[in-house]
Amino acid sequence: MMKQVLQRFTLLAILCAGLLLLFSQDPSLITASAVEMMDEAQVSLAGKIINPQGEPVEGAEIELVINGESMCAEPECDASNHRVESQEDGTFIVDVPTETIGGMRELILDISRHHFETISWHADERDLRRLNLGESLRLADIELPRQITLGFWVATLTFVFILVIIALEKLHNTMAALLGVAVILGTTFVGGAVNPDLFIFDFEQALDYVNFDVIFLVMGMMIVIGVIEETGIFQWLAYQSYRLSRGRTWLLVIILMLITSIASALLDNVTTMLLVTPMTIQIAIAMNINPLALLLPEVLASNVGGISTLIGTPTNILIGSYAGLSFNDFVTNLTPGVLMAQVVLTAYVLFRYRKEYMVKGGGVSEALLERLRESGRITQPEKFRRSGIVFVIMLLLFILGERIHLAPAVTAILGAVAMLLWVSPDVEDMLKVVDWTTLMFFISLFIVVGSIQEVGLISIIAGTISNLVGGSVTTAILVLVWSAAFLSGVIANIPFTAAMLPVVRFLTRTVPGAGSQVLFYALSIGSAMGGNSSLIGASANLVTAGIAERAGYRITYKEFFKVGMPAMLVTVAVGTIWLFIRF
Amino acid sequence: MDKILCATRGGEASYRTQDAAIALAKEEGAGLVFIYVVDIRFINKTARAVRPDVVSAEMEKMGEFLLALAQERAQKQGVSADVVLHHGDFSTELMVCAQELAIDLILLGKPIGEESVFELEKLEAFVTELEDETGIEVRIVG
Repeated sequence: MMKQVLQRFTLLAILCAGLLLLFSQDPSLITASAVEMMDEAQVSLAGKIINPQGEPVEGAEIELVINGESMCAEPECDASNHRVESQEDGTFIVDVPTETIGGMRELILDISRHHFETISWHADERDLRRLNLGESLRLADIELPRQITLGFWVATLTFVFILVIIALEKLHNTMAALLGVAVILGTTFVGGAVNPDLFIFDFEQALDYVNFDVIFLVMGMMIVIGVIEETGIFQWLAYQSYRLSRGRTWLLVIILMLITSIASALLDNVTTMLLVTPMTIQIAIAMNINPLALLLPEVLASNVGGISTLIGTPTNILIGSYAGLSFNDFVTNLTPGVLMAQVVLTAYVLFRYRKEYMVKGGGVSEALLERLRESGRITQPEKFRRSGIVFVIMLLLFILGERIHLAPAVTAILGAVAMLLWVSPDVEDMLKVVDWTTLMFFISLFIVVGSIQEVGLISIIAGTISNLVGGSVTTAILVLVWSAAFLSGVIANIPFTAAMLPVVRFLTRTVPGAGSQVLFYALSIGSAMGGNSSLIGASANLVTAGIAERAGYRITYKEFFKVGMPAMLVTVAVGTIWLFIRF
Repeated sequence: MDKILCATRGGEASYRTQDAAIALAKEEGAGLVFIYVVDIRFINKTARAVRPDVVSAEMEKMGEFLLALAQERAQKQGVSADVVLHHGDFSTELMVCAQELAIDLILLGKPIGEESVFELEKLEAFVTELEDETGIEVRIVG
């Protein structure tokens, strides 16, 4: 008993710590930039360091040199503000020593940072004149050219290696990402001590890349879904589809596609497919049709449906948290497009399986039908009622929370805490529900993606895509949607999306007309709908195939490709058209 | 021969194996037991939160449904069959079950076409291993 109470409070403490952490990240609490903090009495140089893509560079070291002499004599240097580091927004302030005012003949700022070339900024005669008169200066943005170091190659090859071993299923995703972290930090600390060129980033910088909004949103939703899935809601919905269709297979498949799509949008597509698939197989057998004719449409609809909300897919969680898109943003900008895609997908499925759906149902005994009815009932009505109430309130908070700046991660944690306190499931079970390996996967992935961002690979990719699209938002949408769609069929879409986020942010800033965040939605459509093109394209595909195989119905790569690739092409085409209509 | 154990997955591909087992049981006058093994290791393929206990329970219900279907098929052909459901690795559970129930003959389905999970050579190697481990005769049918 004591152990259970302790465990419950441990979990609640973790969730509360998450809330504090998320609130502490409120942008309104972030201190003003260096430029805004200039002291009018002190003669200073203020500026901003940017990379070749115009992104702020944090942590660049700026050292003041006047008349050929460094103003940074140890040990007073750090306190004197003559050598400073650029802040998160790239800004910096260097104080000019009072005794040098009036006698400055030359002023240089030596600027250095790992993975960038060291440069010297020289004050011109006009600047020197103003400084000698005791005026502070606001400098134009200073661009630091990138430098390809040995660390660049280590980080790049590590990222590619991780993508390959995940795609080939040689290692569990989490192990692969953890291996990547080990290689990157090992190279920094061990290799960097031998050859500074091998430095990638230190541990503090690595942790800065971890997006805790994502971690806590995923964790909160895990608990919420974990409680709901126990109630039997998924199986009940599947059975109700069977009941409502009254033996009409075409109607059954439409209802099943609809409910898997909605459940995937509001909960999670993998969980939905895990719990709907066994029931679907039984229904298909009861109706004397091939289960694959129901399962494949369901999983395709599930992958498409998940895109319509912030919480429907991990890729949307990544995109929403990174780009600051709210639940309502996804509903407004993606849900209508997803509905259009679902209509087209349903028409395609009905045409594709028209022969299978012509078969007349029936063929199993009353005893088996009774067994089916038994499988399709709500197993825990009281828990279902309570968790339903909590979930509806959560949805309202997701929708209305934007008005009070309530982050989705906070809503998810509040929902999780309510589930733990009121719905009161077994604490041992809840601790099992929080899949720590998945959270470790995300943390490790953020660090690995952070490393390729740090060394400049992302900047190179962003620059290349920027040149390719040539300032056209239409081309940018097409390139992003379709490259994401095809790549998601062969590589894991979560690491791919995580890596593409800074690229999309750069394009959003630089491509005229992309300020509406349309490119983030393009990435969402491409990466999630693209998963329909191959069996390994989405986790939901793999778990569906896993269950079907255990019932004697094997979904081969070829079979999935034959059905999934055309589905991907038509749905992505509709999604693209929607983006052009909406934006 | 007193008892035949027939491993089944339950799908259409298993019907031939089930029919062969039912026919043999009828011919020999032997008892027939269908076994279904719930194995949820495939959930490791996803880096997402899934509840093994809930998935396992659903797979169990599906397994029971498929076993009941096999039982009905046997009954229609005049053979009374028992069913057992195990959780875990298929090979291990098959051996455990065969020894627990004092089985005389184990029947496995012959892989046909792309739908089969096993390749014939691998299945034959498995048969040899099974016979060596349990001392029970194993046949591939269908």
